[in-house]
Amino acid sequence: SEYLKDASKKMKSGLMFVKLVNPCSGEGALYLFNMCLQQLFEIKVFKEKHHSWFINQSVQSGGLLHFVTPMDPLFLLLHYLIKADKEGKFQPLDQVVVDDMFPNCILLLKLPELEKLLQHVTEGKEIGKKKYYKYSKEKTLKWLEKKVNQTVAALKTNNINVGARVQSTAFFSGHQISSDKEEDYIRYAHGLISDYITKELSDDLSKYLKLPEDPTSLPKPPSKKVKLSDEPVEAKEDYTKFNTKDMKTEKKNSKMTAAQKALAKVDKTGMKSIDSFFGAKNKKKVGKI
Amino acid sequence: MESSDEEDVEKHRIHLRPVTLRSAPPVTLHLLPCEVGVNRPAPVGSFFTPAIRQGPDGLEVSFRGRRLRGEEVEVPPGLLGYVMAMEEKSLGKQDFPGGSDSEEQELVEPPEALERDFDRFMGASASFRRFTLWGLETVPGPDAKVRAALTWPSLAQAIHAQVPQD
Repeated sequence: SEYLKDASKKMKSGLMFVKLVNPCSGEGALYLFNMCLQQLFEIKVFKEKHHSWFINQSVQSGGLLHFVTPMDPLFLLLHYLIKADKEGKFQPLDQVVVDDMFPNCILLLKLPELEKLLQHVTEGKEIGKKKYYKYSKEKTLKWLEKKVNQTVAALKTNNINVGARVQSTAFFSGHQISSDKEEDYIRYAHGLISDYITKELSDDLSKYLKLPEDPTSLPKPPSKKVKLSDEPVEAKEDYTKFNTKDMKTEKKNSKMTAAQKALAKVDKTGMKSIDSFFGAKNKKKVGKI
Repeated sequence: MESSDEEDVEKHRIHLRPVTLRSAPPVTLHLLPCEVGVNRPAPVGSFFTPAIRQGPDGLEVSFRGRRLRGEEVEVPPGLLGYVMAMEEKSLGKQDFPGGSDSEEQELVEPPEALERDFDRFMGASASFRRFTLWGLETVPGPDAKVRAALTWPSLAQAIHAQVPQD
């Protein structure tokens, strides 16, 4: 497997992969913790059918490419805060971030400047030196709106085509179509961020952003699609073994050219989940871990 | 800490040996447009690499009698590629890769007791800043999925950057 890692960091110790909850699906996903610099990274896998690596003098099936990118821990904390909010009271953080399924969640409590982070999404109280928190939907939506805005800016900088319709000229001219509307950007960014929040919150955010219902996806709400298409990295799968399951004969490939593949994959829904960056064409059903 | 196998998987942590990130030698990588269903040594340097030619529209080579066209793909700025390998599970904490056992142990020793007996270790065996992307018959081009994936880090940065406080 390949990893992309920030080159500049001088890490001495305490780098570890742990399984934590995926705040969107509630399933498990792999994260990388840097205990030294107190940072959290998420891991996404590029996976497209019919690929393999030559790595120096060896062959590696699967053609997977892993991406390790910084993650805002607040998305994970939010998962626990919303859960705890069912009890409807102020609670200390160490009572909020508890998880039988993913006991490594306590590592989140070691991240720096938690108090500052939590101000974005909670009401706080201090009683005799001890801090108590309560989830605030109002503040959370405000915070998410800012996230959407900064994502929109990045989409524009990176010239990512967010239009509902992709015109075929995009494939030949190399130019982005400049008619993308602001609303398309917001919808696209909303889709990306929805991969880190619950379906319910995603819907609330959509209303908060005053996004009109997307007519192209009326049969299923778009955010539902996002949720289903999310593909968490599962810890069992596979840093441990390079297995040779799913051996494919080479024959099938002969019919595909890159151009055909590219054309076959134009997504017309206008709403993207992160998944769309990683070539997972067949959506994995949510499996148990 | 007694635990069943299943719990073991739930709890275990995979430690990445930081020293290996600094010492990983560069590697030559090719991403092929086909599935080779095995993982094992292969004489890439004898059959594949010497056959690569610079054609009019990109690199050319053939694999199993089929014509491939390829191009170099750069790892995005600010990132570095690593090839990672899991260390074989060993009893206790002896590891076997390299000869620099003691040095690794020392560097890996965390400030707190992060490691447990059932934890596992992995390390970077190689690093890369570019790889060759191959397509069947045609150069994969700017619409290749893997290229879209390579824009992900810059978007991820925007999604996960802290927002200003009100």
